[in-house]
Amino acid sequence: MTQKQLRIKINGDTYLMYEGQSVLEACRSAGINIPNLCYLEGVSRRASCGICVVEIEGARTLVRSCVTPIREGIEIFTNTGRVRKARHTNIKLLLANHPRNCLECDKNRQCELQKLSDDLDVRDTSYPKIRKKHYDIDASSPSLTRDHEKCILCARCVEVCSQVQSVDAIEIAERGMEAHVSTFFNKGLDASECVNCGQCLLVCPTGALMAKHETGSVWKAIDEPGRHVVVQAAPAIRAAIGEEFGFEAGMPLTGTLAAALRKMGFDRVFDTQFTADLTIIEEGNELISRIKNKGVLPLITSCSPGWIRFAETFFPKLLPNLSTCKSPQQMFGTLAKTYYAEKMNIDPSKITVVSVMPCTAKKFEARRPEMNSAAEYWRNKGRRLPGGTRDVDSVITTRELADMIRESGIDFARLTGEKFDEPFGISTGAGTIFGATGGVMEAALRTAYAELTGKSLKDLNLKAVRGMGGVREASVDINGLTLKVAVAHGLKNAREVMEQVSKGKSPYHFIEIMTCPGGCIGGGGQPVPATTDVREKRIKAVYSEDESMPLRESHKNPAVIALYDEFLKEPLSGVSHSMLHTEYSRRDLYPGI
Amino acid sequence: MKAALKKEIDGIIKSYDGTHGSLLGILEEIQKRNPHNYLPEKTLAYTAKKTGIPPAKVYGVVTFYSFFSLIPQGKHCISICRGTACHTKGSRKLLDYLRSSFEFEGDTGGDAKLFITTKDRYLTVRTVACFGQCALAPVIEVDGKIYGSVTVEELKKILKKLKGSRQ
Ligand code: SF4
Ligand code: SF4
Ligand code: SF4
Ligand code: FES
Ligand code: FES
Repeated sequence: MTQKQLRIKINGDTYLMYEGQSVLEACRSAGINIPNLCYLEGVSRRASCGICVVEIEGARTLVRSCVTPIREGIEIFTNTGRVRKARHTNIKLLLANHPRNCLECDKNRQCELQKLSDDLDVRDTSYPKIRKKHYDIDASSPSLTRDHEKCILCARCVEVCSQVQSVDAIEIAERGMEAHVSTFFNKGLDASECVNCGQCLLVCPTGALMAKHETGSVWKAIDEPGRHVVVQAAPAIRAAIGEEFGFEAGMPLTGTLAAALRKMGFDRVFDTQFTADLTIIEEGNELISRIKNKGVLPLITSCSPGWIRFAETFFPKLLPNLSTCKSPQQMFGTLAKTYYAEKMNIDPSKITVVSVMPCTAKKFEARRPEMNSAAEYWRNKGRRLPGGTRDVDSVITTRELADMIRESGIDFARLTGEKFDEPFGISTGAGTIFGATGGVMEAALRTAYAELTGKSLKDLNLKAVRGMGGVREASVDINGLTLKVAVAHGLKNAREVMEQVSKGKSPYHFIEIMTCPGGCIGGGGQPVPATTDVREKRIKAVYSEDESMPLRESHKNPAVIALYDEFLKEPLSGVSHSMLHTEYSRRDLYPGI
Repeated sequence: MKAALKKEIDGIIKSYDGTHGSLLGILEEIQKRNPHNYLPEKTLAYTAKKTGIPPAKVYGVVTFYSFFSLIPQGKHCISICRGTACHTKGSRKLLDYLRSSFEFEGDTGGDAKLFITTKDRYLTVRTVACFGQCALAPVIEVDGKIYGSVTVEELKKILKKLKGSRQ
């Protein structure tokens, strides 16, 4: 079906635009920017901010361009005195209720409200503050904080949480001067359905939603004499960190990243891709064993902690379907304080493990009570590590890392590429693609095929599982077995797939689920903005990086092979189980009902 | 939560049988049947679960409309308008009279967004910003019924009638 074109006029010039576009979208494609604070393409059309107003010939009042569709012959004026005045008034009304202490605000220089005020040359407000109720900052979540004082009630967060993630942890409660974004009975986020994904904070136009910061504890560890601080960088970081330093989105900067981490003062610069390769070996074998032994199928991936929390909250009956594999971040933490400590003869209590993650939920994951296998390992050997020892000590996001690089005075753009350290810095292209939706699946299939047939896939690029489609499926013939797989990203899509599993109607053997749209490259810890376009560019970077790697199959990673020889013995061994696997538990948010 | 209450809520939800926008009706009915005329947290969590509407959304709806209450209310409820018109016409006296005739729990004084209930849960008194009926000032609402041009004498009569009603 071809879309109908409409002839419209914007500021006196004639354009042909597709039917169904809003005035705001049409103007944008004509290169005319209309300021907006609440509109979110494809997600939110609440039209609450009133910043996007324009004049339409023949209309008595100004209209909100984000929710007004274009029609044949419409004449739009985006820059009249009346429009400017209305925008000023609306911004000033927002500012009247706003703290305006940008210097103290985490969002300083990245804030849409601040930028817009500046763009529109609004410097002050003469309106009185009308909001009366005060709400304390909600800091209950290990991943993010919510500060009502800075909230402009645009409801973008509410819509993302609902439309994209189908979590629905938040909604606007009360009305008028009392309105505020709230969980059920205003209990903190941590007691709600929230899965810590941070998709809300990626779209928040102000500093109302911010990730929890851990940079302080990282600097402290680096500064402490005698402390051995190792850092692991997740696959998705290299595909996005450049955006923080003025690079175009989609530029993989692996070597630069390693160089920057080393300059910051980490003792060893390692790569989470190493444990991503390891995850593939363990999970691939888990799949093969479940198929052979008629275990619970479909097997579902477990490396995305937001997804795990989602399953624990909404699909507790299906927890046996989840792979018992820990995520690469947690496998890394455990191994750093056990195998690596022993191999390098370093006192495990002197090791600090820092993760750089694209993800706010990873902060939550590292704090899960069961994520302390290293302490257990040493206890079994008669050695007590200090109380409260975690496998992973601090988790910082890509944005926090960029802050730290800036604070270090490192000129990121001028760094010469360096390599990650051995042994945990060795990885394959299969580990790299963990960063994109479909990547874990593709990596697993590459290895499963080789394990079952003894030879590599003819074409390692499994294009069927790539792309941005919400749910994608593929089948692969392996020695007479037709392996059926599916990939879902964004929890709304995950919910769809899970409902099918729930009904016993899932045709798949193996499902990959990633919490965030696009996979980890679109995580809540990544640079802002993270539009679909930006996410697609990061995905391209991930696959180009994969193709440039000498090894592209996890089972060929020499460091992983050595790890099995020296420590784990074989996949799914007893040691593997206690070090690399975990369990999940139902989250009952409303007990007794 | 008691099984009988769950059954009652199930019944109410069923009677609306998925009609669009039925949440308001369901909640109204549940509140009406509650002995203290309010919506307890567990009741709302259960309603959310049964209707499949996310709890945060249910909470959003309940807090948006002023006729829903999240705290126990007395058997009778009087809302007094404290808008400008009603204030000028003496709505303050009505509030003062109620305060002097009953013993309220947790009354910290003031009259903006007041919501107080007597110790014996007989009467709840609340204030509203404006009923939108300023021509009838001062306006009060008693158990859902609007009264205009109310004097203290009239209020006394209304209270007497409530006592007699024994519903
Ligand atoms: S949210 Fe934006 S405008 Fe508000 S204080 Fe922070 S930086 Fe300034
Ligand atoms: S972090 Fe994710 S789940 Fe939690 S409120 Fe934000 S969007 Fe919803
Ligand atoms: S928290 Fe941010 S995204 Fe959510 S309503 Fe407030 S300003 Fe908008
Ligand atoms: S962007 Fe249109 S009303 Fe906010
Ligand atoms: S001021 Fe009381 S009804 Fe309007």
